[in-house]
Amino acid sequence: MPSYLSRPLTVLGLLFLSHACYSAYEHSTLLTTFPQSSTIASTSTSSPPTASLPLDISLETIISVVMICVGLVVGAEELKPITWRVWAGKVERESGGGGPFQGLEDRLGFVDIRVGIISSMEIGFGNGGLLV
Amino acid sequence: MSLSSSLRHSNSEALSLSQQSTQYLQKHTSTGTSTIPVPFISYPESTELWLMYEKLLLSCLRAGDDKAAHLCIEKLIDRFGATNERIMGLRGLYQEAVAKDDAALGRILKEYDEVLAEDPVNTPVAKRRIALLQSLSRTTDAIDALTELLESSPTDIEAWTELSDLYLSQSLFPQAIFCLEEVLLVAPSAWNIHARLGEVLYISVTSSNESADGKTLAEAMRRFCRSIELCDDYLRGYYGLKMTSDRLLSAFPDNSKAAGQILSTDNGELPMPSTATVRKLNEKATSKLAEMTRWTTARGYNYAEVVAAKELLDKSTQPKQR
Repeated sequence: MPSYLSRPLTVLGLLFLSHACYSAYEHSTLLTTFPQSSTIASTSTSSPPTASLPLDISLETIISVVMICVGLVVGAEELKPITWRVWAGKVERESGGGGPFQGLEDRLGFVDIRVGIISSMEIGFGNGGLLV
Repeated sequence: MSLSSSLRHSNSEALSLSQQSTQYLQKHTSTGTSTIPVPFISYPESTELWLMYEKLLLSCLRAGDDKAAHLCIEKLIDRFGATNERIMGLRGLYQEAVAKDDAALGRILKEYDEVLAEDPVNTPVAKRRIALLQSLSRTTDAIDALTELLESSPTDIEAWTELSDLYLSQSLFPQAIFCLEEVLLVAPSAWNIHARLGEVLYISVTSSNESADGKTLAEAMRRFCRSIELCDDYLRGYYGLKMTSDRLLSAFPDNSKAAGQILSTDNGELPMPSTATVRKLNEKATSKLAEMTRWTTARGYNYAEVVAAKELLDKSTQPKQR
């Protein structure tokens, strides 16, 4: 599913959810205002009025929640790699041969300033360098 | 002397960075001077800011912009005081860079000695002293000082890698390899150090007069394999894997000699890989390198590395075509 559908789907789901909530609220007010109608609607008088929530409201709630979930998941950012090797490969390429262990080969503590610094240390420490 | 100063100007990257330095320094003057932080009015000072000053100092010195470098070091001294160990190291670096001749460098070296006599565990200054000794091409003195430093702080991996490079420059391969192994004990997932160790092992084989040391070559190949295992599509690792496996295949074309060595190395060492395994690894490295050179620099690889990989591939395919 394309990611541009994420926001409309979520908004629509939220709209449906609020509509379902409002419907449930209206339904309960209706029952408390006219208690005799519930006895007519449901066959047994002992059952609580909440049990007789119409099927369409329940369905609307469930569908809207599913829509919100799907919308949020689809619109989520691209997942970050959690495998070391994938992450390392990405870091290596994005920093152009940098990476957190590049400091071990640049060795700023031992740098010979009179000759110049060997590799691109100015930009190398950008992404979470371990050795500064 | 004139050569070293022209080298300092050569890097265009450092130059462009230092050109931005005056603007940067002007922009951040207010943050550095306020001594008492006032909530909501002054910016909270961050570690990044001071790291930035350090980097700026280095690139200014490298580009030969001594004035801006002086401004940086003054700010750092204002903030942390001249007795801070790290600042002492940076100040030494600045003095080294602006020193006119070898006599001035000798004076700086004497200063370092005095500081270290007072406080022998001042690591940044000790490192500067070692770097200066190296710069004055007194490599053996540098090695002695570095081993002394490592005795007091055996987990300093930066020092271990430096020592390894120093030993390598003296062609003392077993020592260089040992140092890199020490680094790997502290940072076992450093893929570039694994590759580096593979390279040093390979160099030790190629520079020795013996025909081919199969065990060392196999060890080098394992190191390159490990670096690839730790880092996806690691060009340096695949390059090394191809070099070592090529050499292993040419040195041991059939399995008979390798099989003999399996029996001989029975004292806990890893056996020699079989020729079939080496051939498979060689094929894998070749195909991977071919793939990576096609991607070229679009994926962020170093251009020089890609060119080198292409050359290696061309060299290895030519004999087959003939």
